[in-house]
Amino acid sequence: MSITWRATELRLLLPVVLLVPLGFVVTHIAQTNRLDPGPLGLALGYVALVVVAHLALTISGHRGDQLLLPLAATIGGVGIVMLNRLPQDLAGMDLFGIQVGMAGTQLAWFAIGLGAMVAIAVFFRDDGLLRHYKYTWAFAGAALLVITFLFGREVNGARLWLYVGPVGFQPGEAIKIVLVIFIAGYLAEKRTLLASALARIGPIKIPPLPYLLPMLAIFALVMLIVVRSNDLGTALLFFGIFLTMLFVATGRRSYVLVGLVLFIAGSFVAYQLVPHVRVRFDNWINPFADPNNTGYQTVQALYAFGRGGLFGEGLGQGLPMVAGHLPIPALPTDFIFAGIAEELGLVGAFALLALAAATAARGLRIGILAHDDFSALLAVGLTTSLGLQTLIIAAGNAKLIPLTGITFPFVSYGGSSVLASFAVIGLLLSISHRSAILAESTSEVSL
Amino acid sequence: MLGDLLVTGDLLRLILLAAQLAFLGILYLALFLFARSLLRDLRVAERAQLAAQTGIGRLAVLESPEDEPPVGQAISLGPINSIGRNVNSTIYVEDDFVSAIHAMLSFRGRAWFVEDQGSTNGTYVNGHRIDRPVALSYGDELTIGRIRMRLER
Repeated sequence: MSITWRATELRLLLPVVLLVPLGFVVTHIAQTNRLDPGPLGLALGYVALVVVAHLALTISGHRGDQLLLPLAATIGGVGIVMLNRLPQDLAGMDLFGIQVGMAGTQLAWFAIGLGAMVAIAVFFRDDGLLRHYKYTWAFAGAALLVITFLFGREVNGARLWLYVGPVGFQPGEAIKIVLVIFIAGYLAEKRTLLASALARIGPIKIPPLPYLLPMLAIFALVMLIVVRSNDLGTALLFFGIFLTMLFVATGRRSYVLVGLVLFIAGSFVAYQLVPHVRVRFDNWINPFADPNNTGYQTVQALYAFGRGGLFGEGLGQGLPMVAGHLPIPALPTDFIFAGIAEELGLVGAFALLALAAATAARGLRIGILAHDDFSALLAVGLTTSLGLQTLIIAAGNAKLIPLTGITFPFVSYGGSSVLASFAVIGLLLSISHRSAILAESTSEVSL
Repeated sequence: MLGDLLVTGDLLRLILLAAQLAFLGILYLALFLFARSLLRDLRVAERAQLAAQTGIGRLAVLESPEDEPPVGQAISLGPINSIGRNVNSTIYVEDDFVSAIHAMLSFRGRAWFVEDQGSTNGTYVNGHRIDRPVALSYGDELTIGRIRMRLER
């Protein structure tokens, strides 16, 4: 068997190879005011990781999409440049006595994430494991959720973290993927029923109740997340993914309408009952009401966007420290988009969003080209999870919607997020690989 | 002249500005390359879709002990397809476990349906024997005798 070169992928990786080392040099010059490239180990490590992932896919004879890896690598490249430019003691880990800074830790997570991506893309060539055990997956996800509710650690008012010994991770990221697998499996099985069966209340057509129950169950789950763990971002994301997949599977606007009504009613109840939700909502309406306390981060983020303007303060020259601290405490995670908008301006922020949009377009294309309903719905759901997450956090940073604490995929600091995002890319790659193989191997014969 | 610039730091600032612009430039170069690849694939997909518009579905043959129909073949489907050992069937299969007129596969409204035609050994959808017309989704597996097939778009 001859090797199929992934030429497009390699060509599209070239900008990343230049971008990341250049970003490291620029930020080092800007911060030291000396004409000195500074340490480039991490930048070259990042480039090496991406190229190795490309080679691994090539050697395994992978026929999947060739744009996804370069897109993720470019978005992640901007992220690692930003993280490396921030004070390194904000986060990090202690590896057998050696202190690894924030960017170094993130690079380690990129290595694990890219490894997982390649493994999933190469070894998940049969979707039976996902499709046939959908209820097992759903159960695993629900169990993970319950464990988090019971034993999770609360950080910044939200209970998201699960600790196994010293290693903490956010189960929400894993639950997100499991939820998509379950919904795809469920809808692929029930799609024809859901699309054709209808009941009527007066002039309004609504889906019949038995088929609405799983929808209500997921809605209940989402509300539970909001109330129990104060995790607004994940709840919004889960519900958005679910509604999108339901609409794609059935083509019925009535489902979306019912879902939106439920969402608005749920938001209203949450506002009345959950203090955390009320704070976030009030901050969105007017962060300047309490600019030094609850509204602090939102106000500082708005200032960052303002300082950035059209072309930005210049890479490495923005984000002035206030009394030795970053203006926005959560800059490496939730507010990285505001930081990028300050240094690269609207121009840079737009480029980042456009790259995310291109990733989404690519994922939806994989869904369109899929040969069966499960793969198609899985691709749409996974794509929505990445795209919607980007949209929610970017819009939250810019105060277009209430701020919710979720990560910017591939950009924000955080192992769980990086790992989950690359796992999503891996699954998309494996779906597109199957489609490509099927399109080739089955010869069309008309009778 | 160059020395003066170095002393005042103007040259440094100039180099920094150039490098910062180069960073944004590479970012936009990447964006341009991605956009070009996306558009090219969209055009290819559009052509492929036009070519495939005649079909409403096909049956991929996964298992077929007598190799008629051959494994790996994808059979294009019309709106109504009879499956059986009768040579006049729309989809003719050669297998001792299949009845002459075994099952009927039809596209009605917005969905595919399969109905057993009183066969001896039954018709199976995803491993479950059916006793009435059953709606199929793309990706469902249909087993007739020892022949296993999958409905695809």
